[in-house]
Amino acid sequence: MSAPAAPATPSSIDDLPPAIEVRGVRRVYKAKPNPVTALDGVDLDVAPGELFGLLGPNGAGKTTLIKILTTLLLPTDGTARVFGFDVARQTTEIRRIMNIVSGGEQSGYGLLQVREQLWMFSQFYGIPVREGWRRVDELIDAVGLQEQRHQKISSLSTGQRQKLNLARGLMNDPWILFLDEPTLGLDVSAARVVRDLVRGWQAAVPGRTILLTSHYMAEVDELCDRLAIVDHGRILALGTPTELKQRVSAGSIFRLVLDALEGGVEPIAALPGVERAVLAADDATAPDGQTVAVNLQLTDDAVLGSVITALAAQDAHIVALQKSEPTLEDVFVELVGRGFGDAPEGDR
Amino acid sequence: MTQLAGSQARPQRDARGTWQERLLTWRTAVRLGWAVESNWADPVLFLIYSIAKPIASVLMLVVMLQVISNGAASTADLGFVIVGSALWAFVMGGIAGLAWSILDDRERYRMLRYLAILPGSLSVILLGRGTARLLIAGMGSVITLVVACLITGVPIDIGRIDWIMLLVCMAIGLVAVIALGTLMAAVCMQTRQDSWSYPEAVAGALFLLVGAVFPIVVLPQVVQWVGLLMPLTWWIEGIRRAVLPDAASGIGGVGSVWTDVTGTLAPDQGVILVVSMATTAMATLVAFGGYRWSERRARERGLLDRTTGS
Amino acid sequence: MTATLRIPEPFHPTSSPMEAARWTRRRKLATDLRAVTGRAYPRVIGLIREPSWLLFEILLPFLTTSAFVFVYRALQAPPEYVGFAVLGGAMTAFWLNVIWMMAAQLYWEKDQGNLDIYFTAPVSLMSVLFGMAIGGLFSSCLRAAVVLGVGTVLYDVVFTVEQWGLLIGVFLLTLGALYGLGMVLASLFLLFGREAWHLTQAMQEPVYFVSGLNFPVGRLGMLGFLAIALIPLAVGLDAIRQLAFAGSAAHVGTPSPEVEALILVAMVVVSLALARAMIHRLEWLARSEGRLTVRGG
Repeated sequence: MSAPAAPATPSSIDDLPPAIEVRGVRRVYKAKPNPVTALDGVDLDVAPGELFGLLGPNGAGKTTLIKILTTLLLPTDGTARVFGFDVARQTTEIRRIMNIVSGGEQSGYGLLQVREQLWMFSQFYGIPVREGWRRVDELIDAVGLQEQRHQKISSLSTGQRQKLNLARGLMNDPWILFLDEPTLGLDVSAARVVRDLVRGWQAAVPGRTILLTSHYMAEVDELCDRLAIVDHGRILALGTPTELKQRVSAGSIFRLVLDALEGGVEPIAALPGVERAVLAADDATAPDGQTVAVNLQLTDDAVLGSVITALAAQDAHIVALQKSEPTLEDVFVELVGRGFGDAPEGDR
Repeated sequence: MTQLAGSQARPQRDARGTWQERLLTWRTAVRLGWAVESNWADPVLFLIYSIAKPIASVLMLVVMLQVISNGAASTADLGFVIVGSALWAFVMGGIAGLAWSILDDRERYRMLRYLAILPGSLSVILLGRGTARLLIAGMGSVITLVVACLITGVPIDIGRIDWIMLLVCMAIGLVAVIALGTLMAAVCMQTRQDSWSYPEAVAGALFLLVGAVFPIVVLPQVVQWVGLLMPLTWWIEGIRRAVLPDAASGIGGVGSVWTDVTGTLAPDQGVILVVSMATTAMATLVAFGGYRWSERRARERGLLDRTTGS
Repeated sequence: MTATLRIPEPFHPTSSPMEAARWTRRRKLATDLRAVTGRAYPRVIGLIREPSWLLFEILLPFLTTSAFVFVYRALQAPPEYVGFAVLGGAMTAFWLNVIWMMAAQLYWEKDQGNLDIYFTAPVSLMSVLFGMAIGGLFSSCLRAAVVLGVGTVLYDVVFTVEQWGLLIGVFLLTLGALYGLGMVLASLFLLFGREAWHLTQAMQEPVYFVSGLNFPVGRLGMLGFLAIALIPLAVGLDAIRQLAFAGSAAHVGTPSPEVEALILVAMVVVSLALARAMIHRLEWLARSEGRLTVRGG
């Protein structure tokens, strides 16, 4: 079998093939007692220069799709291309133009210092020795690890570690960067640095593309040009954050923060005029862990009165009440019929 | 003030736990260690692994003996080598078992940090984890002894075995091996992941000093002195004397330090037991002192949850 | 406080992904070679940064070798046998390095989460394995040199070398065959998973025995022949022993060093080809079954 031909060099960014082109991709893992279908007929197009998000709960199939696109995994069925290169047969070409950064990644060798670790990775991308060291210093400055430059990586904090991972991901100047939960476990400040850097890096060169997976709604909402909502290996909806939020039916949306909700949301959801009542999954909603946040979608503002009465009957006190615009979580709930927090299994 | 000091001391004593609690911790750790060790392979492969190493070691020495003697090595010489070499499998497994518990739990399972914060003593947990390997090594030693004797025709007369001496020596030897294993665990707590081979290196070096397969009289005098301070020298001598009453002494002999100092050709059983106990007690003190220092240093420097591959 | 972000400039600007993906042969080769350096780097740095290996990997193994020397002395063996023990002690450094720091290493890399990075980098996994080998050779060579040098002086070993060129050639071929085997084992052990770890240990002494580490392997008869045909340590050690102690009456029943050199050449070729095939197979399995890039599998 002859090697597939490389796509022709285009004259401008507009002539580039899709950064990602996925057609009918299925991925089934052998498992006991039954095989697990992680992706079930996914179709997706991402344009060059886009920052595209995959939003879904744990187990939705986001990581599996990233693994397929980064040549770590073959699809069971279907085809996938990255800038026109086939993931099954043109792995070498894809590896030359992409990189991946995962949340909680622990790659590298604990005895190496930050600078040494990055230099080692620079060699895997064929960067000449001196240029490699210069590049390493640039990246250390960019991610803000100047003070940790000579620190052993085994002693880095989670945030510092993730900055290091991001620096590694930018080492080869990829045309496409895959970010798999890049801010997982980071504090607000470290997550902000990662997001700003990613956005700035992408904007610096037209055509640089990012595929971001996250289960942080706000992150996807803030960063992504377009996104797909994924659950159980299927794409449920696709569009810009604004387009997706417009899909949520008209009505009043409230966010309630309660001191407790021992009776659960079901009695509230059953009230007349309550279209939906779900526990909020977004960590930012109830950061102290002492309160319970509930997202409500009501047919009318007037229904709120009966909700408050019902809550009082459950001995639940309102800590905060906010009328809000629809969020991506509302979109997810609308599509799936359950909240993110109710996701049943580990990530795939 | 007295009251306050007492109330401050109590939590520390409680934190170390009672002997019953330690026993329970140890038993749990033994079960865990056994589950980990026996989980990786089917029983046949497991058995081959347990005996392939020690039998190969014995055979290597037997062939060396036969090559030099043109195939005419005496059964006494063969017995001397076989007993020492079979026991060495136990030493190797014991030392490595404890040391590898540290490396396994820190680098592979990333469990050491969680074990370290359990209310039970970390040393007791590690001892329990290493017990499985100690058992496997003990089993390997016995099988090696039997198989090697069958292959080479070395007769072991069951009726002439001094069982009391054998059992007492085995008990002392077990303590000595655990002490050395604890010392190696202390070392591995400080070193990097690539130190998997360190326990075997230590066991190999001790192989020289304790006269496991040759009488220490052939060693330079200074080295003989070092050998005489090693509990394993006396342990092997005791076992050899119990199993093969006619075997030559590994400690004494014309020109040996022992004979020069005591005027006797070989130590008798009583001396062997007393010195064995004394040197084992010394080794145990050094080992547990070393371990406590190492654990404290590891906690101070955050070494318990690092990964150090290269 | 908000730090000002400095976005790094493109270090090798390309006009399109297609251009970026198009590498010349020279660039491909250079990248593979740099990957060798990159992978060797942490090994060497690790050794420099934590010198405990000087005690555990040089001094103590020397004592182990000495134990075998004293076994021969106790048996009043001919002097060249002491030399055999010293030579065997030196060569064990390479075998230990192969099984501990090569064969089991990919399994470790997987556990540490590095395997994903290696798979997604635009380099051959063979380069990564070469890097491991080169890094490991640094300490192994030092250990072998110390055991050989100090052992020779301390135990009055007299070498009788008549064919220096062949001796050096055989030594290099032995290293090639050993590390080639290490690469094959690395792939195999990754597939075996946890059992690999125990196979590593289980292989140590049996290989010493059948390779005739401290005695002429010809004395093992058919077993020795089989070892010479299959195990690089056995054939390499026997050839080196014959060449380093030329004229010794101990060498009986094994092929000449020239023939053994040819066997080593075949082993190098076969092991490298096999390693390459294994790595392709491994990568295919990793991608099709999705289990090799998952920690703890």
